[in-house]
Amino acid sequence: MSEPILKVENLEINFHADGQTTEAVKGISFSLHEEKVLAVVGESGSGKSVTAMSITRLLPEAPVCQVRGSINFMQQDMLTLKNRQLRDIRGKDIAYIFQEPGTSLNPVFSIGSQIAEVIKLHRPEITDVKAEIVRVLDLVGIHDAEKRIQAYPHELSGGMQQRVMIAMALACHPKILIADEPTTALDVTIQKQIIDLLKELKTKLKMSIILITHNFGIIKGFADDVIVMFRGKIVESGPAEKVLQNPQHPYTQALIECIPRLGVRKERLTTIQHEELEKINAS
Amino acid sequence: MFSKLTIRQFKRFRSIKRAWISLWILSALFILSLFSEQIANDKPLLLGYNGAIHFPTLKFYSDQKFGGLYKTEADYKKLDEDPAFHAQGGWMLFPPVRFDPYSSDWSEPGAPPHAPSLRHPLGTDNAARDVFARILYGFRTGMLFSLALTVISTITGFILGAVQGYAGRYVDLAMQRIIEMWSALPFLYVVILMASIYGQNFAVLLLVFCMFRWIATSYYIRAEFLRLKNQTFVHASKATGSSHLRIIFSQILPNSLNPVITLFPFGLITGISSLTALDFLGFGLAPPEPSWGELLQQGLQNLTAPWVAISSVTALFITLLLASFIGEGARAAFDTKAEE
Repeated sequence: MSEPILKVENLEINFHADGQTTEAVKGISFSLHEEKVLAVVGESGSGKSVTAMSITRLLPEAPVCQVRGSINFMQQDMLTLKNRQLRDIRGKDIAYIFQEPGTSLNPVFSIGSQIAEVIKLHRPEITDVKAEIVRVLDLVGIHDAEKRIQAYPHELSGGMQQRVMIAMALACHPKILIADEPTTALDVTIQKQIIDLLKELKTKLKMSIILITHNFGIIKGFADDVIVMFRGKIVESGPAEKVLQNPQHPYTQALIECIPRLGVRKERLTTIQHEELEKINAS
Repeated sequence: MFSKLTIRQFKRFRSIKRAWISLWILSALFILSLFSEQIANDKPLLLGYNGAIHFPTLKFYSDQKFGGLYKTEADYKKLDEDPAFHAQGGWMLFPPVRFDPYSSDWSEPGAPPHAPSLRHPLGTDNAARDVFARILYGFRTGMLFSLALTVISTITGFILGAVQGYAGRYVDLAMQRIIEMWSALPFLYVVILMASIYGQNFAVLLLVFCMFRWIATSYYIRAEFLRLKNQTFVHASKATGSSHLRIIFSQILPNSLNPVITLFPFGLITGISSLTALDFLGFGLAPPEPSWGELLQQGLQNLTAPWVAISSVTALFITLLLASFIGEGARAAFDTKAEE
C-alpha cells in the first residue's frame, strides 16, 4: 500500500480555560490515503471536529489550546510549520466545508466575489477569474452560474449554499477535503444530493476526503475507512464495510442501532448505560 | 462597486423623507457657509477701477492700488464714499450682508447691541458686530470642527476597537483598563490646561476633543469585532488561508460598518453641541472668533436684547434638529435588526 497522504500520530488536544484543563482529544492516531474517504463518527463532544480543525491548526493559539503529537501532511509536520506556509496549505491543499452553509458565507458579498477571493489568493496565475468561477460552480451542479455569481448568500437555499461552499473549497483543487458535518443542517433529500455530489467530485478531482459526521446512515457506500470516536478516543476503526457489518464496540453498536430503518418500529433510540460508560473509560 | 445590500440601505434611507430632506438642507447650508466670505463681508464682491475688475473677497489689494496712500489693505467702505475713487470710474458690488463677523459698526445710532434693522437683519451684539455674520461664520467653524472631530475620532476608535476585539484576551484586557483610566480624566480640566499652554485655537481644541471622543466608537467596534470574529464565515475564511489583515479588512470590516454609519450624524451633534458648550463657558475658541457659544453667553448677559439669544438658540436648534433627523433616518435604514 502506498504512503498515506495524511498521517496523524498520538494527537492530544487540551483546552485551558479559567484554570481548568479539558482533554478534548486523548492520543489518537489515524491515516488517510490518496483518493480515499475516511469517515470520523462520534457524538457531539467526542472530539471529531477539534481533530479536524487541528489538522491545519485552526484552533486557538498556544496558551488556550495545546496540541501535541504529530500531524504529517506530504512529508511536512503541520505542527511546526510557520504561519505563512500554513496559510499556503489552507484552502489550497487542505480545504474545509462546515456544517452551517448559511453562516459560512460572508453575508455582505456576492458568492461570485467570495469564490474569486479564494482563487486570487491561491491561484494568482489565473487571468480569467470569472470563467474559473463559472467552471467550479458548474462542477458542483449550479448550472446557471452566470446568473448566480451576482447572488448573495441569503438569496440561496441551504442546499445551494452548501454547493457554493463546496465550490469555494474545490476552487483550488485541494488534495484533502475536510467536510465537517456537511449535511447536518440540510434536510434528508438534499443530504443525499450533497453526498452524491461529494462522491462524484472525489473521483473527478482525485482527492481524499475526511468526512465528519454523527450519522452512520450517510457513510454507507461512501466511506472507505471509519474511525469511531468517543470522549476523545478512537474506540473502533477499520474498513467501513467491516465496521458497519460487524461492529465490535458497544458504542459503535449503539450508534448503528440509531439509524432508522424502514419497517422497523422502535419506541426508543438505543442509549449507553452508565456502567458501560465506566467500562469504556477504563479501557 | 457597492453591494446590493448597501444600495438597498441607501434606498431605504432615501425613502425616509424627513431624513433625506434634512440631509439636503444641512448639506446645502454647510456648502453655502463655505462661501461665507461672499455672503457677509466688509469687502465688496466685485470692484471696478480704471476699467479692470477686482475680487476683494478673494484677494488682497493695497490701498495704493485704488489711489490711496498706504500699503495696507484698502478700506473699501471709506473708499466707496470717496469721490476721487468714483471719478476714476470706480464702482463696487457688496455681498448681501455688508459686514464681516469681526468688524464693529459704530455708525449705528445709540449703544450696542442694536436691534435688527435692514442694515443688520439679526441685529448686532454688544460690540456692534453683525449677529447674522457671526452666526454664519460660527456655523462654518462648528460644522468643520465636528466633521473633522467625527472623522478623526471614528477612524482612531475604529482602529483601536478593532485591535482590541480581534486580538482579544490580554491585549483586550490591558487596553480596556487603559481606556478606563483614560476616560476617567476630567475632560474640562484637560481642555483648560491644554488651552492655557498651547492657546485656545481650533487645532488644540480639536486635538483635545479627539483624545476623548474616540472611546465611544472603540467600544462599539470592539464589540462588533468580538462578535464577528467567531462567526463561521470568518473561520471559513481562515480555513481558506486568509491572513489576519485580510480577515480584518475583507471579512470583518464590511460587516461592522453599520454602527459607524449610524453613529456618524450623532457624532456631529455631540461635536457641535460640546463646542458650543465650551465656548459658552469661555474655554473654547479665543474671543474674537465668531462662535455660537459666545453668542449664547452674550444673549444671557443681554436679556434686554433678545435678538442675540433668540437667533443663536434658533440656529443651534435647527442644526441639531436636522442632524438628529439624519441620524434617526440612518439608524432606521442601516440597522440590520430592523430588516427582519
